[in-house]
Amino acid sequence: MTGIRRARPLLGTLVEIAIDGDLPRAAAEQAFGRAFAAIARVHALMSYHDPHSEVSHLNREAWLRAVPVSDETWQVLSAAQQLSAASDGLFDITIAPALERAGFLPRPADHLPASSRGSWRDVDLLPGRRVRLARRLRLDLGGIAKGFAVDQAIAQLRAAGVVNGSVNAGGDLRTLGRSTHTLHLRHPEQPTHLLPVITTHAAAATSAGYFQYRQWTGRVCVPIVHPGTHTLCDARRSVTVLADECLVADALTKIVYADAKRASRVLDQYQARAVILDPDTDRGACRLFDSAA
Amino acid sequence: MNDDFSKWWAVPAIVIPALAPAALPVPAYAAQYLTLEQAQQALFPGPSRFVAQPLRLTPEQARAVEKYARVRMRATEQPVWRVETGGRHAGWFVLDEVFGKHEFITYAVALDAGGAVKGLEILDYRETHGGEVREPAWRAQFTGKRYGAGLRLGEEITNISGATLSCKHISEGVRRVLALHQAALK
Repeated sequence: MTGIRRARPLLGTLVEIAIDGDLPRAAAEQAFGRAFAAIARVHALMSYHDPHSEVSHLNREAWLRAVPVSDETWQVLSAAQQLSAASDGLFDITIAPALERAGFLPRPADHLPASSRGSWRDVDLLPGRRVRLARRLRLDLGGIAKGFAVDQAIAQLRAAGVVNGSVNAGGDLRTLGRSTHTLHLRHPEQPTHLLPVITTHAAAATSAGYFQYRQWTGRVCVPIVHPGTHTLCDARRSVTVLADECLVADALTKIVYADAKRASRVLDQYQARAVILDPDTDRGACRLFDSAA
Repeated sequence: MNDDFSKWWAVPAIVIPALAPAALPVPAYAAQYLTLEQAQQALFPGPSRFVAQPLRLTPEQARAVEKYARVRMRATEQPVWRVETGGRHAGWFVLDEVFGKHEFITYAVALDAGGAVKGLEILDYRETHGGEVREPAWRAQFTGKRYGAGLRLGEEITNISGATLSCKHISEGVRRVLALHQAALK
């Protein structure tokens, strides 16, 4: 297989784009440019940290009045609300205050304290791509926007004439033009050790604590909040979801992480597959759970 | 499928035994994205002249860089090219490498004539299972080779789900490159 790859630091991670096959060099360079630009645009619109992003604007203004948003932000918010409804709130873009309390997110200086009782049901998507928050909430699209950015980059590659390729944003990835492919999962306790999984799904996303975890209230936690208890989930496991779209895979990892049993119905609904790696620290072994098994 | 009877979340499909270092299923990840010449072309498209001007910092300059960038200077010599387009100074091409616990990344930063970041490209990225990345000898085996002929890399591994290693080091590296410009290229 011939092909070329590029990597740039974006979305707080290393984003790798591959173009396979014999695309002329100039066409490939143009495709790389368009795909990386699409990812940078999603980052600029949806960053929680950047005070100039559309998400920050929503967090400052949308509890006061309806705020119009871009087509991209609207697509992500709409998909997020559908996933919240399908999972009965296991996925929720309003959990930022809990992440702030645990130190996973900074508390922006210009933000007033957010309501801790709100939920996704307080986010109203109004005609004309306008957003209104029924309470003083803070939205965080960190659990879904990276997957969307990968989908947008894939769309740009396709539009630029690429037939076979892939985009991998720090573990949220999607392939283009391959019917089956081999995916490598990192071992949760020894992340440079890889386990191969063969799949027909184009997209995959993994949530795990191996590079992003904190001690909080005496436990090692990942930045995933259980919406029922508003506490953080344990960091030992890794959850990978395979789906057709990377946005769906990204969001579903949070649902499976929070409650694998309740996630089963949602996985079916989105025709997705979950693989959980759960290390058994005492024996050094690792248990693999597979919803397609 | 995923009904309540299969209980996939409660019964492991496989139990992977404890990993012995000798029985690794696949090697750690490595990728070469661009050679030195390709990176120069990507960051300064069109006809440009790249004049090698490796930078050797004086102790005072090294201290200034550390103070401004808030990072430790490891090497005192930095590969830098002065870029000329149509006979005029167009900017700088700075080659740099950073490493973390498991990863070693070579990247290049393009600065315009005013010293602002114009672009960044990763040249190559490699991971290791052990602590070798901390050993200068391990890193040295790639230095030099990297910039010419392509190394034979593990092409079979194309997609890893589960986060590439942190790119925090790249952000620190860029801060250091900007400090280098401030201290020695202005």
